[in-house]
Parts: sequence; C-alpha cells; structure tokens
Amino acid sequence: MRDRLEELQSQGLAAIQQAEAEEGLRAIEVRLLGRKGEITSVLKSLGTLPAAERPLLGQLANEVKQGLAEALQARRSDLQALAMAAELEADGFDATLPGDPLPGGGVHPVNQVSRDLEDLFQSMGFQIADGPEVELEELNFDALNIPADHPARESHDTIWITPPDQRGAGKQGVVLRTHTSPVQVRALRRFGAPLRVVAPGRVYRQESLDATHEHTFHQMEGLVVDRGVGVPHMLHAMNTLIEGVMGRKLETRLRPGFFPFVEPGFELDARCPFCKSGCGVCKNSTWIELMPGGLVHPNVLRACDVDPEEFSGYAFGLGLSRIVMLRYGIDDIRWLMSGSLSFLRQFHP
Amino acid sequence: MKISLNWLGDFVDLSDHTPQQVADLLSMHTAEVEGVEEYGAELRPLVVGEVVECAPHPAADKLSLTQVDFGAEQTVPVVCGASNVRQGQKIAFAPVGCVLPGGLKIKKAKLRGEASHGMICSGRELELSDDQAGILELACDAEVGRSLAEELGLLDPVLELDNKSLTHRPDLWGHYGFARELAAILGRRLQPLPLLSDYPAAGADPVPIRIEDGTGCSFYAGLRIDLDAPPQASPERIQQRLLATGLRPINDIVDLSNYVMLELGQPTHAFAWPQLAGSCIVVRGAASGEKLTTLDGVERVLDPHDMVIADQQRPVALAGVIGGADSEVGDDTTQLLLESAAFNATSVRRSAHRHGLRSDASARFEKSLDPALADLALRRYCHLLAEIRPQARIVAAPASAGCDEVDLRHIDLDPERCAELLGVGIARDQIGAILQSLGFASEDAGAHLHVRVPSWRASKDVRTAIDLVEEVGRIYGYHKIAEQPLQAPVQAPRADPGRMLERRLVARLHGAHAAYESQGYTFLQHSWAERLGLQGDDFVCVDNPVQDGVDLIRHDPVPTLLEQAVGNLREETSGCLFEIGKGYRPVEQGLPPQRRWLAAVMWRPEGGVEQGPGSLFAAARTVAEDLLRCAGLRRSDPCPGAVDAPWAHPARALTWQDPLALVALLHPRLREELGARRSAIAVVRIDLDELHRLAAAAQPAFRPPSRFPAIKVDVALALPATVPYAEVENALRQAGGRVLEELHMFDLFEGGTLAPGQRSLAFHALLRASDRTLKDKDEQKFLTKVAQAAERLGGGLRS
Repeated sequence: MRDRLEELQSQGLAAIQQAEAEEGLRAIEVRLLGRKGEITSVLKSLGTLPAAERPLLGQLANEVKQGLAEALQARRSDLQALAMAAELEADGFDATLPGDPLPGGGVHPVNQVSRDLEDLFQSMGFQIADGPEVELEELNFDALNIPADHPARESHDTIWITPPDQRGAGKQGVVLRTHTSPVQVRALRRFGAPLRVVAPGRVYRQESLDATHEHTFHQMEGLVVDRGVGVPHMLHAMNTLIEGVMGRKLETRLRPGFFPFVEPGFELDARCPFCKSGCGVCKNSTWIELMPGGLVHPNVLRACDVDPEEFSGYAFGLGLSRIVMLRYGIDDIRWLMSGSLSFLRQFHP
Repeated sequence: MKISLNWLGDFVDLSDHTPQQVADLLSMHTAEVEGVEEYGAELRPLVVGEVVECAPHPAADKLSLTQVDFGAEQTVPVVCGASNVRQGQKIAFAPVGCVLPGGLKIKKAKLRGEASHGMICSGRELELSDDQAGILELACDAEVGRSLAEELGLLDPVLELDNKSLTHRPDLWGHYGFARELAAILGRRLQPLPLLSDYPAAGADPVPIRIEDGTGCSFYAGLRIDLDAPPQASPERIQQRLLATGLRPINDIVDLSNYVMLELGQPTHAFAWPQLAGSCIVVRGAASGEKLTTLDGVERVLDPHDMVIADQQRPVALAGVIGGADSEVGDDTTQLLLESAAFNATSVRRSAHRHGLRSDASARFEKSLDPALADLALRRYCHLLAEIRPQARIVAAPASAGCDEVDLRHIDLDPERCAELLGVGIARDQIGAILQSLGFASEDAGAHLHVRVPSWRASKDVRTAIDLVEEVGRIYGYHKIAEQPLQAPVQAPRADPGRMLERRLVARLHGAHAAYESQGYTFLQHSWAERLGLQGDDFVCVDNPVQDGVDLIRHDPVPTLLEQAVGNLREETSGCLFEIGKGYRPVEQGLPPQRRWLAAVMWRPEGGVEQGPGSLFAAARTVAEDLLRCAGLRRSDPCPGAVDAPWAHPARALTWQDPLALVALLHPRLREELGARRSAIAVVRIDLDELHRLAAAAQPAFRPPSRFPAIKVDVALALPATVPYAEVENALRQAGGRVLEELHMFDLFEGGTLAPGQRSLAFHALLRASDRTLKDKDEQKFLTKVAQAAERLGGGLRS
C-alpha cells in the first residue's frame, strides 16, 4: 500500500505539472481526489489494514492527498496567471484613441488676471471696492485734485455725458470715468481710514482705435491709507503685484511721474521679461513702464475727510489691459473687446 | 521737446558724462527722456576735402574737372558744377558710398565722359542752409580728411522728452531749467544767464500799453528796438542750435526770439513797429466776429473768449498763440516792438484749441509760466542782440502794464515727516541743501524748515509741504528707496458676498455650460439699438461719442453680446458667450442708476429639437435655473413671456420675478435682419443686483435622507397639446403630495396613435416616505390621483 501511495503521488504530481489547461487539471483532480478517485479509494481501504499499520499509512495517505491538492492549487494559479497573461497580450485595446471632446468654456483673460490679483491682494488684507463707470465729474476730477481747467477734462480726452454748456462750477457733470481712481474717493468716504482696497474695473478715454489704443480698457486701482505709510510700502505692494502677475520677481525701479492726485508721483519700471539686452517690447531700453503710483495727495485725503496730518497713504493704478497683453503676448488690444471665440478659446480657466 | 547737450553745456559742466548718462539722470530725477539722438549724425560720412586741381570740363561749359584730396591714399577725380569751385579750396566732400541727408547715395559716375568719384557739396545739399549759389567753402585751416560734422562743430547730442511728462513743470520749457536740474542732481554750479543789466535811460516817449483783460494777461511789456539794418541771417551757431532742437532758422530777429524761448521757456514776439496803428498796444478780448489773418496766412474769425493784442484799430496777434500777418517783421523792417508778457494758461490753451493752432508759444504759455520770465526774456534778448548786432539800439526801457511778480510763497517743512514719507534716512541738513540747489531758500524755524519757493516754481507746481517732499525725494534719488512691507493689524478684509456670488456664477458658466466669458463695449450704436427695437430716447447718451452714432450707453450687455455672437456665426456654428457687466438708465439729474447684469447668448444651427429637453431654449433655461440655484434660489417659477426686451421672441420666453431673470429666443424678425436665419439664438439675462438681494436670504438647509426604500413609477399621460407642461407638472406634484420625491419627464411626443391635437408626456416618478416603507396601495393611490388629474386636464392616463 505504501508503494501504491508513493506511485500515485509521483504519477499524480507529474500529471499535474504536465497539465496545460484548467480542464485537464480538473480531470486529474477527479481521477485522484474525487469521490471515486484513486487516493480516495486508498483512504477508504485503510480500514482493511491491521490496526498497527493504520496510523502510519493513514498519515502518509493524508500527506499524499494534501500534497496533491496543493500541487493542483498551485498549478491552477499558474495556469490562470498564464491564461490572464495570454488574454491581456491579445487584448487589442488601443489606449491611444482620443478621449471625448474637451468641454469648452473659459474666462476672459482680463478677468482671469483681475481675479488672480484680487485674490492676491485679499490675502494681504485688502478689500475689493467697486464704483460706477458712469461717474460724477466731482469724483473723477475735483476730489482727485485735478483742477477745473485741467486739459484732461476736455472733450478730446474725456467722454462726457453732460454737454459742455451744462458743465462747470457747482454743476453735477457726469463722465465716463477716465480711471479707476474715483473708487479711491468712494471707498475712503465710505469706509474711512485706515483702509486697504483694490478696485478693478473698466475705464474710458477719448481715443481712436488701433493696435495699441482703446477707448475702453481696464485698470486696477490700489489704495492704502494708514498711519506712517510711505514710499517703501508702495514699492513693496507694487513688487508683490508684479511677481503675482508675471509669475516671478522682476527687478524694478521708481522714477518721477506726475499725476495730480499723488505727490510725490512715480512711474514704476520693471526689467523687460522678454529680453536681456533690448527688444521691441521694451523699445530697446530693457525697462518697461508698468505702473504709475504715488503717495496720496493731501488734497485727496482732505476731500475724503481724512486728516493728512494723521494719515498718509499710497495709491497705484495698474493698466490691467496692458499687463494682460504682456502676460499672454497679445499683440493687438482690440482682441480684448472683440468677443471673438477664436480669441477667447485660447484662455483656459 | 528737444534738449541740446551743447546748449546745456553753456550753463552746467557735463563734459564728463555721455549723452546717455545725462538722459538717464534726467529720467531718474526729473522726467523721462524718451531718446537720445545725435544732431548732425547724418553728416558723419562727409569729410573735409581740398581741391588740389581744377580745370574746365572739355565737353561742358559749366562743369569743372577737379582732383580732390580727402585724406585717402590717392586723390579722386570729381566733376563739379558749381561756379565758385577753385583750386586750393577746402570743401565739404561726400566720398563714394556715402548718403547725403536728402537720401542721395554717392556712386562712381561719368559726367559727359569724365569720371567723377564723389561730390563736392553745397550747404543746401547738406541741409545746412538755403544757399544754392555754390559749394560750401570751409575755412582754409580746415584739416583735410577730418569729419565735416566735427570740423563744423555740427554734432550735437539731443535729448527727446515727451511734452506730456513736463506739463506740471513751468520751469522746464527751456534749456536753462534743465541745466538747473542737472546742476542740482550732480551738485554742480549753475552758470548765471548773461543778461542786459541796465536799459538805457528813457529817450523817446514810452509806448502806451493797456491791459483790459487782467485775468487773461497779468503783465505785458513792450520794448522798442531800432535795427541798424533789416533782418538778416543769424550766425551759424544760433542757426545750428535752432536746427538741432527742431526749429527752422528764419532771420536773426525771429531766431533770437526762438533762441530765448528755447533757453528760458518764455515766448516773445516782435511786431513791425510802423505797422501798429496809433503806436499803442491794447490787450483785450476779441469783439464778436472780429477777424485776424495770422502769420500762417489763415484768416480767422475770432471768438469773444479769444484774447488778442490790438493796436488802436485792430487785433495784431492772438495773445500767446500766434502773431498777425500784417504786423509781421518783414524784409525791410528796422523798427520793432518786442513783446514779452504773462498770459493766462487756460485762456491761451482754449484759444489755441479753438483755432486748431498749437504753437510753440501757446504750448508754453498753457503751462503757467513764471511771470518774472517776461522781463528776463527781454534782457536776455537784448544781451544776445548786442552780441550779434552791436549797432542795434534799444530805444528805451520797456513800457509795461500789469504786475510780473508771483506771490512769494513760504512753506514750512517738517524734515522728520519728509524722511518718513520717503522712507529714507535723510538728514535735515541734506534736505536743506537739496532745496537750495534747486533755487529754494531754506532756513531753520524751530523743528521745521522755513522754505521760500522761487518764482519759477511758485507759478504752478510747488504749493505745499508735500510738493517739497517730492523735490527732496527725486533729487535724493527714488532708486535709493528700498521696499518694505506695511505693518498693520491682521484683519480679514470686509466680506464681499456679491463678488463671491459672481465668481460662483462664472465658474458654473464656463465649467458646467461651456460658456466663454466675453467683454463688450458699454457704447451702443444708435442704429443697432433701433434694429433691436430699443428706443433711443430711453438711453443715457454720450455727448462726445468715440465714433459718430455710437452714442448710447447700454442698459445691459445683451445688445453687444448679440452683436458679438452674430460676428462669430460664420466661423462658429454653435457657441455660448457671456458677460458680467454694468448697464445704465437715464435720469433727470445726477448720476444715472447702475445695474450689474449677467448676460449669456447661446447659438446653434437651426433644425434641432424645437422645444422641451434637447432644444436650445431648454439649454438656455437650464443655464438660468442653474445660476439661480447657484445663488440659493432652489425653486422659483417662471412666467411665460418677456418683459422689457423687444429683441426677445414674445412667445418663446420665460421671466423669473421680473427683472430677476429672463430666458428668450431671439425675435424671428431679428434673425432675419441680422443675417442669422440658419441659427437659433437664445439669450439669458440675470439682474445680479436683484439676484444678490434675494440670495442673501437663501441658504440651503440639510434634511436627513429617508432610510426607507423608494418606489419607481412610470406614468404616461395623453393630453391636449394646448395644456402647458407647467400645468401638467403641477397636477402631478399635487397628485404625488409629500411622498413624491422626484418627477422627471422622459418622453414627449405627438402623432402615432394619438388623436390629432393630443400629445403624450411620460414621467418617471420616485415615491418615498420619510417614516415608513411605501406599499402597493400607496402606488395605486398615486396612479389614481394622476388619472383623475389627467382627466381634469382633458385627457387620460395611457397604459
């Protein structure tokens, strides 16, 4: 019987190893371990043996049975793995076929940059302020220390709602705001000092349309009024803004600029991000003029009921349209207001 | 404005600075220099030559054959047509390959059979003078082979500044002002301007001068000069400086006026004295309809707002702008009246603008010049005149009217505050020194500096302490200021729910509805508004539109968005544009009320499903409902029809709580008219102010989902097609009551086995209770009620 068991074991193991398919394995399993299988019948015949031999042979028979079962299981796993591998290899699936069409939709580039900057300034404790585009002459000019006879007020610069014969001292003339600066006045009058605001928005000038001139464009005003505010704080805010828009720090410099509502007034230049030694964008100077600004003129603070002896402030006016053109390399400002899908589609949210 | 560096060199030593360095100094401390060019640079390729041989041309009477030595190894043959050419002469020579200022390129040539390798030039060919008589003769000690430009001292680096960057600085309209700036920046001495110190004692009777318009002219001086000879050409040096800075030399009398103007900024004007009737000057407003023929030969009808200089009978000049033709200094004039005055800036600017005549004089007067310049300019003129015409005679001290003093202004400056605002550690002494270098007088007055403003800064730009801070800062150097973050309490900025809502709406529009955000003009073309059916008189109107007829201010962004959509149609058969923008309505007085709008225009080719799910109208409705939901308005029933939107299809439209939201297809009349016959176009318009107001109250409230299973029931109703869907849905919701959790129409059709005029609507309904498991009888109850409702609506349940 021992021989028989050993023979069954060696034959069984060999057959298992040679089985090429799961069906074959199943047949072997039935032949050896099934209810009428060869091992099963050996186990059944154990009872006919002398009692002294039974434990030893019984143990052997069980070991053979278990060994064969394990071998079957192992071979089955191997065969399944092979079959899976073969199936995968013959799959024919082309993963490089295209996906479904990407959904359309996008944000206007001016608003994209504007919203980025709003977030940046909000993170520094600025609130976002807004004002009407059809604005009072008083807020667009007078409160900003722009004298009554200043040429900027005349019809060849400013777009007026009020006809000339109804403008002038004591009358409430109405203009399309020429800058976002009236929001300085609105915000300061409403909230008082100290105050930190940015105000993005549309502004209007009397201009003939061409690649670099628009009568409708966008600015972002910044205003901080607090105790002890000076030029270094303005410079810091401007540098932070430029890094935020252009994605990296640029070397900057301040030089004199004149605007009636700031004193001293500045122009901020940044190193041209497109060249090292001069190009068309910087007119070969390696500097590009990015942003005017200055310390808020005491007359403006007074016009907003803020005491210039106690408070000081800075303001800057970013040309949003221009910075958007710089950021994306847009060569013609007229694209911005074109509503052309072929333009808008190029800016993903 | 052009600034000559040679000229500046008369007043401040810049010899150790390159032109670019000077330009950079001015850009960083004063005003932006836009460019540096070298006047005379185009003459660089020309050299001094010597005519070493000169013989008649064998084949032409008027030509000469010459050999010219110009410093090259060999002399070259040159054929010359000038009558004044002769052997031994030093001449201006253009070698082969060089380009003359007029653009002529010199090539090897043969003239009547004789070789000519270069050109001997006349003053006119070099654009140095109008002299056509012959070639330019150079001094006999001129060095052969030397650059002509250097030999003649023609090279002059010129700085270009944008006039706009100088408008606030009345002192920077002449070279002397720039010299003063550079002296202060570099800490160097500013040379005093040579002037006539004393006028001769009174001789003839003074000229009677009367100012009738004191606001338009605060000071007027007239100086009588008798010339020894009529006007003649100015000396080279004066002509060249005028040319280098962009003015054309005319004659010495006019040139000196211009020269003084370019030095000091103060315009002067010479009248031909014999032409002034009554030998007097009146400064007055023009009479209505009065005429003046100006120096440019144009007869101008004057406006009563124009200020004129008149003699006893008539205007002889438009004050501060331009002189009159018939009192012009002519070829034979020897008696002059030289005017130097202080005119009001605004008055001059308006006159210049009114007559479309912006002269060098008016450009300066409109900057509020220092009145003290008027006398200074006369003295400078006299000094220069004495240099170039020692025989000319100043008849008498100038006659004058008015006052040429500005109020002496004193400002107290707190040096500590100055340093704090600039953010630099600048000492009190340094502040005083900087101010003094610019001509301010500064003395200690306790904690403050007591500063006196010089007249040339007092007429306009320096009024208060902060103006002094600017002076100190810019001379000290803005580039030395280091950035520093502001120290302030950490506080969250004020909440801005309106803006947050807008952001969410935008995110839905481009993220969920594939819409592109656009920007459209605030201006509407009158004709476009009328085509859309909008009434022109219901708009805010622009007084001076950017373009004729584009004079209306939009109510909302729909009209411009429609225009943009139509513009896209040819390339894009479907699409969606939206804009968040402001609109305005007219008002009697004051500021027109503003509203913020969200508008979207969607289009696709015509021919799809017309109504219900899958249609363009449904897509537009979905956008509107999504945006309302986004604002927290979960259920808000629309009414059919559009209010206040003539561009909308009257029947294919829905309005939510007018003016909150509107969805409409374009009016069929417009599709035809806009050339959009083959497209279906839908508009969504939401009043954001209204939405924000309503949204403020609406917050989603959580309800725990039911733990009990739902029953899915499908029902189909056959109803007359005239019963609106909304009524059917209402009826079903009533039938379902509280246990109807969801209701969704999945099929809509007409025809087939249905009777004519009937349509079938099929729904999925989901029934669920929050407190128990629904049973079959609940479903039966629902179906019964649905059947009853269907009958009430004139139809029945389909099986």
